[in-house]
Amino acid sequence: MKLFNLSQQHIIPAEEADPVSLAELKEHPEAAYAVALEPDESAEALRPFLAQITLVVLHFPIFRDGRAFTQARSLREYEDYKGEIRVTGHVLPDQAAFLRRCGVDTVVLPDDDDQTEWEAQLKRFTITYQQSIAS
Amino acid sequence: MKQPVGHYAYESRDREFLQERIAEFEDQVKRRLSGALSEEEFKPLRLMNGIYLQVHAYMLRVAIPYGILDSRQLRKLAHVARRYDRGYGHFTTRQNIQFNWISLEDAPAILRDLAEADMHAIQTSGNCIRNITSDEYAGAARDELMDPRVHAEILRQWSTLHPEFTFLPRKFKIAISGSPEDRVAARFHDIGLLARPSENGPLFRVFVGGGLGRTPVVGQELFDSVPEAELLATLEATLRVYNAYGRRDNLYRARIKILVQTIGIEPFREAVKAELAKMDLSHYRLTPERVAAIRARFAAPELHAVDDADAVLAQHQKEDPAFARWMQSNTHPHFDEGYSIATVSLKTPGDIPGDVTAEQMDGLADIAERFAFSELRVTHLQNIVLGHVRKDQLYALWQGLKELNLAAPNIGLAGDIVSCPGLDYCTLANARSLPLARKLGARFGDARLQEEIGALSINISGCINACGHHHAGHIGILGVDKRGSEFYQILLGGQAGDRASIGAILGPALSEDDAVAAIARMIDHYLAHRNEQESFLEMVTRLGKAPFKEVAYETV
Amino acid sequence: MKRLSHLSPNECVLLTAARLLDGRIVWRGRDGQWFDHVAQAACLTAEESEAALEEASTQAARQGVMGVYPVVARKGEPPQPVSMKEHIRAFGPTVHPEFSYVPQSEASS
Ligand code: SF4
Repeated sequence: MKLFNLSQQHIIPAEEADPVSLAELKEHPEAAYAVALEPDESAEALRPFLAQITLVVLHFPIFRDGRAFTQARSLREYEDYKGEIRVTGHVLPDQAAFLRRCGVDTVVLPDDDDQTEWEAQLKRFTITYQQSIAS
Repeated sequence: MKQPVGHYAYESRDREFLQERIAEFEDQVKRRLSGALSEEEFKPLRLMNGIYLQVHAYMLRVAIPYGILDSRQLRKLAHVARRYDRGYGHFTTRQNIQFNWISLEDAPAILRDLAEADMHAIQTSGNCIRNITSDEYAGAARDELMDPRVHAEILRQWSTLHPEFTFLPRKFKIAISGSPEDRVAARFHDIGLLARPSENGPLFRVFVGGGLGRTPVVGQELFDSVPEAELLATLEATLRVYNAYGRRDNLYRARIKILVQTIGIEPFREAVKAELAKMDLSHYRLTPERVAAIRARFAAPELHAVDDADAVLAQHQKEDPAFARWMQSNTHPHFDEGYSIATVSLKTPGDIPGDVTAEQMDGLADIAERFAFSELRVTHLQNIVLGHVRKDQLYALWQGLKELNLAAPNIGLAGDIVSCPGLDYCTLANARSLPLARKLGARFGDARLQEEIGALSINISGCINACGHHHAGHIGILGVDKRGSEFYQILLGGQAGDRASIGAILGPALSEDDAVAAIARMIDHYLAHRNEQESFLEMVTRLGKAPFKEVAYETV
Repeated sequence: MKRLSHLSPNECVLLTAARLLDGRIVWRGRDGQWFDHVAQAACLTAEESEAALEEASTQAARQGVMGVYPVVARKGEPPQPVSMKEHIRAFGPTVHPEFSYVPQSEASS
């Protein structure tokens, strides 16, 4: 797998990340710095741990399931989370700008994935109609 | 260019945005044709550009934001109908127009042509915030408290490619009205907004969780008085709750109405309030400056009433009884005594409700230009309203409509039938709806008979998705499939508006001809037994459905 | 959809799909090509249709069609799909005779 960087922030290399689940984090908060949230888990649940967390991984079971957009935006807006937000699962390059604008930094892609579509999509819109957490 | 009356005038950034959007879609089409995108992946992308795969071809649904078109735009639609379709278009109950015979290859070119007239097909489908609908008498009706279209435009812009709300559990429909009459069926929308002025600026009454479809629900009040400054914050908060908690495991349980029903309006309201409490409201404030800037891009009609307009009109009516009849049914009081609101019926008896040919579109565009400040409004009852017509010019207007075969005097009457496309064009349908609409239209086509019957709404849907709003018709008809044959269920007593209610099923489904005959008998029964001045719906309310059921099924 | 295993002797199975490029309805002929008119559709037995459906589905993307599925029809020239939906797909919308796919005389034969 490889990472596509949407935000040009410093990111954690793919091979280094070893996220734990929310349940594991609650059980053993000691050494964890990366956590994976399921789509039905709320960003708020991470609040007690955010000081130590530098990577939150969100999941798209299918590209149509847009809950990760709300999770990402909540992390940025409500929790003031500054670390990396990464998404995995079934995502389309056509969602690149939406992801970035909701505060997502990186997308996990299969090794053979062509990134040109992602690059193109990211640059496509110069005009937006809403303020967003990362514009 | 002069600013358009009744809708927002695009500026260069809006046009640039459309070009960017079209380029994106062109690229998506290429990737689909090359096989890089599967149909499953392409489908939601094309839907967000209004492109369906229907029975006979692709269908393109063009947005008509808050229902307002200008003559230039209608001519562009006529051009699309001629060049890329088969010479006609179909106006829907969602204030959109659909073209039934589109080729995917042509779609980017069509979108480019539409963009020349500041039109698009964005968010006319898909699980996103759909085209915002509004009151067809906005800015013209005597009873209106405030013109809702400036706020409708603000909502259109806010919802356009919203980064967080483009992959919702299901589609999301918002309607806004500024009349106490609720002409937009606010309680039958995911969110319905009723705007009113106050000393401290506009206030919005917010309804949530209404809708027709498989599970018809009358929306409930979420907030009574949201100030203008907090309008966008309130909508954001509501959508955030829905996006996080709306069901995604079952297509038929995914609308916000199910979420609201499941958890209850009180906990839902608390969840929205909790969301608002976490938000920095100053960040989402809709400022008076912003509203003023949008308002400045709307032109107001310059009304110049003439002194003897009433006398001239009265004379015309006296001389021509057919015109007088049309005046009776197809006009509505304007706030200016010298003007009228005129409704063009797209329900010529025997024709397909909502279908308009390219020639008729061009003709209507000319008429609007001559008589109505080039402004046309598409209604959720599939008609077209001209908002500001000088009373002394109504006769000339009517004569022009007659030449276009669009002068049926039947607005609000039995012939003003609302119908979805049904099995002839829609892949989801169980039964055809258009042939039935035609038969009923012809059955009650006689203008005198319709006048005698009085207020009556007949709504037909070809399946339980209810695009024909059959639950909201005084008489509703729902197409069902019984072992491969088309049958029709009749519903009685539905209505939209501030006394919104859902029609009750009368009895077993009937064949097409039996359904037409049953409805005719119900109407005969009403004519024979009504109290003086009593409308069909009032009689249904007074007596219940039993006597109607009896006559409907008497020969079956 | 009528169960394919319950075909009566005067019925057969047609394969249909939509063309990717323009969304138009197509019917599969004997040689595996796709045609615009139902008159050119191969009238298959239930057993034949199973193999044909599998083959057609695997070839669909390459042939520029999508959503291949079987339709029960009464045998005839042209075959007459049994359900109203498929009848409309084969012969055109009933409310617009001018858009019919097959001349009316043929369609009603
Ligand atoms: S009600 Fe059903 S048949 Fe009619 S247009 Fe909607 S989905 Fe199609």
